[in-house]
Amino acid sequence: MRKYRIIIVENDEDEQLFMREGFDTAGLFQIITVLKNGDELFEWLAQHPLVLPDLILSDLNMPGKNGYDIITEIRSSAIYSAVPVIITSTSSTPVIIQKCLDKGAADYIVKPETFVEYVPYVERLYQRIEEKQLVK
Amino acid sequence: MITNCQLLIDTIGDAIFQLDRDGYILYANPAAVQLTGYSAEELFNQPFYILYSNNDDSIKLEYELGLALKRRKFVTGGWKKHKSGELFWSELTLCAIFENGKPIGFSGLLRDDSERKKAELELRESEERFRTMVEGVKEYAIFMLNPTGHIISWNDGAKRLKGYSANEIIGKHFSIFYTAEDLETKKPERELKIAIATGKYEEEGWRIKKNGSLFWANIVITALYNDQNKHIGFSKVTRDLTERKDNEEFLRQSEERYRALVEQLNDYGIFMLDEKGRIVSWNEGAKRISGYLAEEIIGKYFSIFYPEEELINGKPTHELKVAKAEGKYEEEGWRLRKDGTRFWASVVITAVYNNDGAHIGFSKVTRDLTERKESERALRESYERFRQLAGELKITNEELSYANQELEQFTSIVSHDLQEPVRTIKSFLQLIDMKLDQGQTEELKTYISKSIKAANRMRELIQNLLHYSQLAKNDVQVERLNVLDLVNEAIQNLKTAVENANADISIESDVEELEGDRVQLVQLIQNLLSNALKFTNNDHPQVTIRCREEDGHIKFSIADNGIGIAAADMGKVFEIFRRLHTKKDYPGTGIGLAICKKIVDRHRGRIWPESEPGKGTTFHFTLNEEASAT
Repeated sequence: MRKYRIIIVENDEDEQLFMREGFDTAGLFQIITVLKNGDELFEWLAQHPLVLPDLILSDLNMPGKNGYDIITEIRSSAIYSAVPVIITSTSSTPVIIQKCLDKGAADYIVKPETFVEYVPYVERLYQRIEEKQLVK
Repeated sequence: MITNCQLLIDTIGDAIFQLDRDGYILYANPAAVQLTGYSAEELFNQPFYILYSNNDDSIKLEYELGLALKRRKFVTGGWKKHKSGELFWSELTLCAIFENGKPIGFSGLLRDDSERKKAELELRESEERFRTMVEGVKEYAIFMLNPTGHIISWNDGAKRLKGYSANEIIGKHFSIFYTAEDLETKKPERELKIAIATGKYEEEGWRIKKNGSLFWANIVITALYNDQNKHIGFSKVTRDLTERKDNEEFLRQSEERYRALVEQLNDYGIFMLDEKGRIVSWNEGAKRISGYLAEEIIGKYFSIFYPEEELINGKPTHELKVAKAEGKYEEEGWRLRKDGTRFWASVVITAVYNNDGAHIGFSKVTRDLTERKESERALRESYERFRQLAGELKITNEELSYANQELEQFTSIVSHDLQEPVRTIKSFLQLIDMKLDQGQTEELKTYISKSIKAANRMRELIQNLLHYSQLAKNDVQVERLNVLDLVNEAIQNLKTAVENANADISIESDVEELEGDRVQLVQLIQNLLSNALKFTNNDHPQVTIRCREEDGHIKFSIADNGIGIAAADMGKVFEIFRRLHTKKDYPGTGIGLAICKKIVDRHRGRIWPESEPGKGTTFHFTLNEEASAT
């Protein structure tokens, strides 16, 4: 079973903590790093030119470069354009989901109802990546 | 008396033959030898018919000799044949010779008549041609009268014109064509006398047809004389002018109709100019369009209709010149009515020539296009109006699309930003529950404080959103406001924040009063001031609020010495719930500046930041720009 190498972008520190826990428990992904917004993501990528993640999981609303900005910038990047960006947010509004997909998001996954339900979330995420063959 | 008969016969110029009882030639004189080409010996004892055009025509000869015998003398003209075979026309006189009461033979006198016959034939041909021609003439009655006035010839035209056939009329006196009146005054006789005296009589007058109807005739009677200058009669040529008279009448009526038509035409001014450009006729339309009555305008130069500048330019003369040179001049332009008002005219000037080709003037057709121009203008205006409406619609569309965008953002905020704190609170409550189940208490306090923080954030969000949505809903309540009062109210609202930040706020205002919505403007200044106090690392924040009049409108500037805004982020600051990336995390909902933008929009102004990262930011906004511009 393939373990996907993932970068997580999430501005809420508490959420970050619980996400990490959930991912670790599920054991389906290898977290490369967790960053708090787009600005940090691109800084990090610039500083680690040899690292190419299998996917980027990003929150939508963050101070600084948000989820939309990340989709746009990754899609237009020469190096990372092949890296799928999956957006995750509390919102299940179709308009917002569609907007993300239109901008080039590989997928959109609604966050679990509470921080403590991250394990099933991670399992669902993995299943969708497999089903949709989001990672090449 | 005749001493030598033989000599006489030998020298006579006509051919003389003596034939026996059966028609054989017994003798032919030298003239006969010459005429026929045969020698006397060749002719001797030959049947006379060798000279006939058909060889061996014994039957014809026998018949002719029979007649000569019966009548003693028989004369006939006909073709005879020369020895060479050539035919010649001759007159043959055959006389029977009797001796003791018994016929013993015949004398034949053959006279060459070729020349006379030729002339006669030619005459006949020419006469025939002439007759055919005369008879064939349909338009003219041509007939001959004898010296007493009786009709001796009649042609088709005469038959057609007068109704009599040749049989009916030939032999009748020509006075039959005259009216009783004319007969009483002996007009027919008089006409003939005049024709004899002067050679010709000509007149126009009424004559009678066979059916009794009258016709207007043109007649010419010519006295005819023969070669000997003897009066042999008259030729009479009659022409029916009734149709021509009808034509004249028709022409007159047509002219009248045309004149009536032109004169009564209402939509077109139609009138004539003489060659100098003076008005010589006038119609209803011209009267209606220009306002002049016929008696006022006839005789005036047509330049009377031209505006002064056209007169100075020599336009009227030029138009006539062009019309004369090219046959026609056409244009549209302003013309003057009698009352001095202008009308937009379509004008066609046409040069007019008489039948002899002499230039006699111009016709001018004028049409008042003012109404058409008006409707064109109305059309254009309505087009403009529609374009304007379309423009307004476009703006409305943009506003709607903007509203839609805002709604979308609103949805986003409600579905995300409002859910987020709820989710956080729920998460911590669940964790607390789990900890309590496990009998652990060490982290409960943290969880509770995080929950309270999330609840506060939520309250803040709800308040700001309410503010924002109120802005969209409510109209701007415009009133005259004191600038210092406005600024002070905003500072007062932020009193705690100002004190906590240890900030220094200065106010510089050249303006005492302005017009706007008090609540909104206080909110605007308050939000900008709040940002100035928030986004700073400085222990002693300095904020300057300036208000001055610039280019006819009011401009506020709120300057701080805070962290500043990165150049790349300058365009994003007014996006609702957009929060910029900063080294330190600053609290906030991302709605404040969106509210500011909205308030400025509603006050028809602009808002923009100037910033140098690390040095500070100045937010400028203007009010009532569009209002002052108009």
